[in-house]
Amino acid sequence: MTSTVNTVLPAGSPPPAARPGAGRRARRPLSDIALPYLMLLPAVALMVALLGWPALQVIAISFRKLDLGELVRGEIKWVGLDNYANVLNDPEFWVIALRTAVFTVTVVLSTLLVGLGIAVLMRHLSTWVRISLQVCLVLAWATPIVATTTVFQWMFDQEYGILNKTLVLLGFDSFKGHSWFASGGSTLTVIGLLVLWQAVPFIAFTLYAGLLSTPKDLYEAAAIDGATGWQAFRAVSWPSLRPLLMLVTFLSVLWDFKVFAQVWAIRQGGPDGQSTTLPVLLYLKGIAGSHFGVSAAVAVLMLIILVAVTWRYMRLLVRSPETEL
Amino acid sequence: MRSWSKAMVGGMAVALAVAGCAGSGSGSGSGTSSAAPSGPRTLTVWLMNGSAPATLTDALHKKFQETHKDVTVKYEVQQWNGIQQKLTTALSGNDAPDVIEIGNTQAPKFASEGVLADLTASTGDFNGANWLSSLKDSGNWDGKQYAIPFYAANREILYRKDMFAEAGIAAPPTSRQEWLDAITKLKAKFGSDPNFQALYLPGQNWYTLLSFIYDEGGDIAKKDGTKFTATLDSAEAKKGLEFYKQLIDASGTKAPKDADEQTPEQAGIYGGGKVAMIVALPWEVATAAKSDPTIKDKTSAFPIPSKDAGKTAPVFQGGSNLAIPANSKDQDLAKDYLKLISTDEYQGQFAKAGMIPGTSKDVSALQADPVNAAMAKASTNGKAVPATPGWATIEAGQNPIKDMLTAYLTGAKTIDAATSDANAALNKAFSGS
Repeated sequence: MTSTVNTVLPAGSPPPAARPGAGRRARRPLSDIALPYLMLLPAVALMVALLGWPALQVIAISFRKLDLGELVRGEIKWVGLDNYANVLNDPEFWVIALRTAVFTVTVVLSTLLVGLGIAVLMRHLSTWVRISLQVCLVLAWATPIVATTTVFQWMFDQEYGILNKTLVLLGFDSFKGHSWFASGGSTLTVIGLLVLWQAVPFIAFTLYAGLLSTPKDLYEAAAIDGATGWQAFRAVSWPSLRPLLMLVTFLSVLWDFKVFAQVWAIRQGGPDGQSTTLPVLLYLKGIAGSHFGVSAAVAVLMLIILVAVTWRYMRLLVRSPETEL
Repeated sequence: MRSWSKAMVGGMAVALAVAGCAGSGSGSGSGTSSAAPSGPRTLTVWLMNGSAPATLTDALHKKFQETHKDVTVKYEVQQWNGIQQKLTTALSGNDAPDVIEIGNTQAPKFASEGVLADLTASTGDFNGANWLSSLKDSGNWDGKQYAIPFYAANREILYRKDMFAEAGIAAPPTSRQEWLDAITKLKAKFGSDPNFQALYLPGQNWYTLLSFIYDEGGDIAKKDGTKFTATLDSAEAKKGLEFYKQLIDASGTKAPKDADEQTPEQAGIYGGGKVAMIVALPWEVATAAKSDPTIKDKTSAFPIPSKDAGKTAPVFQGGSNLAIPANSKDQDLAKDYLKLISTDEYQGQFAKAGMIPGTSKDVSALQADPVNAAMAKASTNGKAVPATPGWATIEAGQNPIKDMLTAYLTGAKTIDAATSDANAALNKAFSGS
């Protein structure tokens, strides 16, 4: 099953020639022209109702004072930019935003590196080894987030954790009773590893699919020309990986920036709030504190940061859906 | 085909319009009844899972129905998990329940927002003279009573009678010094077993710390009207914290310093048979008995002792309040219901079930079991966490008191740094931003 799917159209293939009957289009009845749009309409309307409207609501709420009392009484109190001023004037917000950004970048980069490594490795493994690796990846991927989180909590437990016990057994006595959750940095590292563990399978499979679509004879040609492994990777694998890599980077940034369950389950953003990220802040303000207006403002700010980070990719996506990314 | 498309478009437009209405949260529903309507009515009651025993509610609803012939009681048991969100949604709807049970740490959030009916004028009807003071405070906001006590529980020390006897401890400790002496004796007798723990006490059992702080005359915060100021940096609070460390050091507990009594669940560890004491709630004996059924007969309890010999330390009381949502359409019926449930007759059922009744001083039913009796003995001196909506964030998970304990016990911070950091964090939470 290695090279059966190499019949992909080259990216820059010319568009199909205009159909001979195209000139007559203007004389068709109006309903024929409107039909495709009408058929699109239900989907568009559904998207607007389910995605657009809530998004508009969040933006509107971010300009309102909406606490439990206002919500229950159905009052609408506009407060302008008060919620934003409240959030942005809190020095804590900037610390949390920076922490979230550093966390996201670190986790995305390490996920991509590990995922790419595994993808390249899979191409070189014998069938049985590869299949067992793939089964392991799928299992890691399919385990529910909270289950994996609990397992990680056990592994990193101060007294009974297998990690500390192993380290002591290997002679690192200072790890006896070492608390991995004593500082924010250490806690976020454990959370990062947890997120990495769950994110790598998808990245690895996606990139492996990209490698499979590379024609095998190209590698053979490269080998005949005397290319080293690295040169073959640069010249042959890289071109087919690049668009996929761009795509998974984009997706990973979105996922890792918003990650909440793992951060919350490990230490609720502690100790001393040092592993609090923006989604945790959102939860604390909104769900725990019932300050829905302030929390909507945090949500809008998160959206702005995300759009700023992924701007380049989105422009490419919107402008030229057919060109290579 | 075209008419079909048109219908589709029309349907979508309607759907959008409906969604629009739902989202904007129309504010016309101020439908509180001024005159009691006649005819059949329904009283919706939401109580929590594991609170009122079925024997209580069955008898209560039968009695209520006798005096309210045309009223149907719609009794629904709610789950604690996600109850805040569920209540928020229910209270803002037109079909709000008429009687709700809320956790006493959540009560201030609802009381302060004016979403509950003011019950100040009716306290006399609800057995007001016999209220448990901690739960009364929880339901009080700005001098008005928005929620009435329901039931509570407080921690005590569960101990192994057989181990105490073997170690030559004649009577349960009645002062801090006697408690420490008991630990020394237990260690002398059983200390050769490396897995033995005279007292299992994790670093973040902050309810226990509160008892020590109250006992020193301190508190978490000082109240001034509706404003709370944290007082964890007071000398009293520091003395309480120092005693907590003294206990941890003296007992040599192997419990984690960065976790609370739930992770791992302490009752399970007590059930393992190598622990002589835990600070726990009475029903944790039953949890421990799941690991070892014989432990129930070997276990008794004594109240958390005070620094002054012969007295018990004040305790934190967790529990529930009852309230009537401001949007309830049948507040007159709801008040009748509260009046009935707060009588000694039904409150006595709580004592039988091993809980402290909220509106009755009769705890005689708790005396039969020594484990419950120890809780009842300390219950007269109960306190609650500051009744401020700012406590909600702390309740949700980021608790500065837990962080303070871990930082101080592990030596990461000095006692002054740990208490002043926690104090600042509490004040920030109280300010509600």
